[in-house]
Amino acid sequence: MTPVEAAPCCAADLTPHAEWDAGHTGCGELVLLLRNKLLALAPGERLRLVALDPGAVEDIPAWCRLTGHRLLQAKPPHYLIERRSTP
Amino acid sequence: MSKRFCVSLTYAKNDTDKATVAFVVANAAVASDKETMVFLSIEGVRLSQRGYAADIHEQGFAPLAELMGNFVKAGGKVFVCSPCFKKRGLDEAQLVEGATVVGGAKLVEFLSEGSPCISY
Repeated sequence: MTPVEAAPCCAADLTPHAEWDAGHTGCGELVLLLRNKLLALAPGERLRLVALDPGAVEDIPAWCRLTGHRLLQAKPPHYLIERRSTP
Repeated sequence: MSKRFCVSLTYAKNDTDKATVAFVVANAAVASDKETMVFLSIEGVRLSQRGYAADIHEQGFAPLAELMGNFVKAGGKVFVCSPCFKKRGLDEAQLVEGATVVGGAKLVEFLSEGSPCISY
């Protein structure tokens, strides 16, 4: 039996499917709008977010932990978030 | 971790800063998949009336009416203290979307089933 060749190792695809510049929007306004943006994507799709609010540095990771969306990159003010698989 | 979250608000135009921040926090909770309820009591019940919040816009925040509308659209509930509502002669026909006049038992039930609550 011929062994199946393993796929070559490659960097994860981090291409965003959508982008949103939230500007200085923060706190509850930011995460509620972010929720709507992410849920408009298909499961597994990625959103590139720009959030200038100083609270976003802590809020975005906390919100992702609460909701199950995956924070792939956090380089404030830039964030890359993958939409969760559940509704 | 609790799946519920309560925001208790006792202010309206007598402290528009508190009223606004309460709904900002409520929006954070509902956006975080919490079954969220804003409990309006004392002066806060005035916010339950259609059009009342139209001229409340704190600097650096979205207008309060927009915050309230977004909260309800996202599935948030607004409970309005019945005796506070009646004391002020407010109109049940003028309730904003998502608002329900309730007695204390409804609040007690919501909190007793396990919910943090932040008060403004």
